[in-house]
Amino acid sequence: MSQREGSLEDPQADDSVSLLPHLEAKIRQTHSLARLLTKYAEQLLQEYVQHQGDPFGLPGFSPPRLPVAGLSAPAPGHAGLPLPERLRLDAAALAALPPLLDVVRRHQAELNPRVPRLLRRLEDAARQARALGAAVETVLAALGAAARGPWHEPSAATAAAAAAASAAGVFPAKVLGLRVCGLYSEWVSRTEGDLSQLVPEGPA
Amino acid sequence: MPAGRPGPAAQSARRPPPLLPLLLLCVLGAPRAGSGAHTAVISPQDPTLLIGSSLQATCSVHGDPPGTTAEGLYWTLNGRRLPPELSRVLNASTLALALANLNGSRQQSGDNLVCHARDGSILAGSCLYVGLPPEKPFNISCWSKNMKDLTCRWTPGAHGETFLHTNYSLKYKLRWYGQDNTCEEYHTVGPHSCHIPKDLALFTPYEIWVEATNRLGSARSDVLTLDILDVVTTDPPPDVHVSRVGGLEDQLSVRWVSPPALKDFLFQAKYQIRYRVEDSVDWKVVDDVSNQTSCRLAGLKPGTVYFVQVRCNPFGIYGSKKAGIWSEWSHPTAASTPRSERPGPGGGACEPRGGEPSSGPVRRELKQFLGWLKKHAYCSNLSFRLYDQWRAWMQKSHKTRNQDEGILPSGRRGAARGPSR
Repeated sequence: MSQREGSLEDPQADDSVSLLPHLEAKIRQTHSLARLLTKYAEQLLQEYVQHQGDPFGLPGFSPPRLPVAGLSAPAPGHAGLPLPERLRLDAAALAALPPLLDVVRRHQAELNPRVPRLLRRLEDAARQARALGAAVETVLAALGAAARGPWHEPSAATAAAAAAASAAGVFPAKVLGLRVCGLYSEWVSRTEGDLSQLVPEGPA
Repeated sequence: MPAGRPGPAAQSARRPPPLLPLLLLCVLGAPRAGSGAHTAVISPQDPTLLIGSSLQATCSVHGDPPGTTAEGLYWTLNGRRLPPELSRVLNASTLALALANLNGSRQQSGDNLVCHARDGSILAGSCLYVGLPPEKPFNISCWSKNMKDLTCRWTPGAHGETFLHTNYSLKYKLRWYGQDNTCEEYHTVGPHSCHIPKDLALFTPYEIWVEATNRLGSARSDVLTLDILDVVTTDPPPDVHVSRVGGLEDQLSVRWVSPPALKDFLFQAKYQIRYRVEDSVDWKVVDDVSNQTSCRLAGLKPGTVYFVQVRCNPFGIYGSKKAGIWSEWSHPTAASTPRSERPGPGGGACEPRGGEPSSGPVRRELKQFLGWLKKHAYCSNLSFRLYDQWRAWMQKSHKTRNQDEGILPSGRRGAARGPSR
């Protein structure tokens, strides 16, 4: 996005010019947040597999990619969508993640009660996903493109479904947690990539 | 090999219908169904077993297309493929596994037993919990900081290694009445500790014990009975000051303040002082510094930096007959003795009471006497400094260090013959 030049005598141009720096600043901030969370999400994934035991951390480990109620991975065609549509999908996914991360944290509180760092990371991830999702929605609203993607605010049924999946046994609960942590990592990375296309060129 | 049952103490964590949760996942609006055509169920799900016991497990496949067989299936445990001789095909769709003499679980979240299809894909998993029931915790010790709280520590039985997550719960109750209470603030001073911050009664005994519980059972420690007043400790004495004693090259004066939290109750406090030379790790301890807030260290090396610490034992508080519990040592305070050519002998005792100018009845009287002497006897060189030098000279020339309590030997009054300044 390039900065529009406007005349200071033109009141409308004044408004546009005065709003743009704020919007650009917001975009930069949100992009920086997404970049930071991408790194945190990778760390969370590493810490998660470490405490589930092998084969979770082994290369080539490939559990069934069961769908998680209320959320899917970014579609292969995501990058080909218009940018506002991509950002809407990003925001919707980020809104769907916190209750799933909470379910995972509750499971891990039973399975790994003596690993407070993992529990803390899961709690932080839920909070961070919420914050990033809200920031992306703010950017969308400022761009006049606010609308939710196909996933609505997660309902109690969604979280209950995730909890029920883990009630099937400890191994499925571990797999679910891996899946959710993986989805979190994929979506924050996807959001960072989409926002990078909005970030104005040049120094902040 | 035992027929297909887990060990006698085994408990399964959960036994829900295995396919239902997967259906829930598919039905509740997931945008894309899983592509895995085969599913399977492992039985038992998440068993708990004693170390050394055996396990018989089965993997039953539900195939699509129909006709999926158990041929080609295999097992892994914690990512390692199990030898084929441990498996056998029970029927067309079921592969069995027999494990004997199980080791303790590798991680507390459970060992991952996985059933794989021929192509290596994961069909199902079950987590094994192999370990020991907890042994009786023991060696409970507790202390109260300034009578306001209670912290307890214990040792887990079997050195704590049960291979299973073991929960420790500190319980307490008033001995003759009241309900059981559970401590809530754990790991405050180490992994096996708990802190009770408030609402504790004095002058009445508590019963305290620890309960350990894991998937294989529970154990309870012996009951410890104590009165809070018998286990009181306090903060280290604050405001520790170490200073030279005039020009005396072998002495330092140590002063401190009674710990403020208990200052109104410390009628019989004991103190201990320890000191060391700056570049040494060996502390010398001065015991029996009873109920006073100053001490003079004697017999030190001249021209040497010393680190000094003080601690307090509030024994006898409110009439307690018990020994009391020493506080932590105060922060080290340093000072140096004046430099001299003459090395002084080592020592380890406080100077007798009244070792400070203007403190104690004997020195007060001496001061008055010296003042009178100066006025009436024209002994202008007389001073406390000279007196102290004489005392230092006396210490060096005597073999034993049993000084009397600051009382000058009879007949020795006036200017002391000793080393010149």
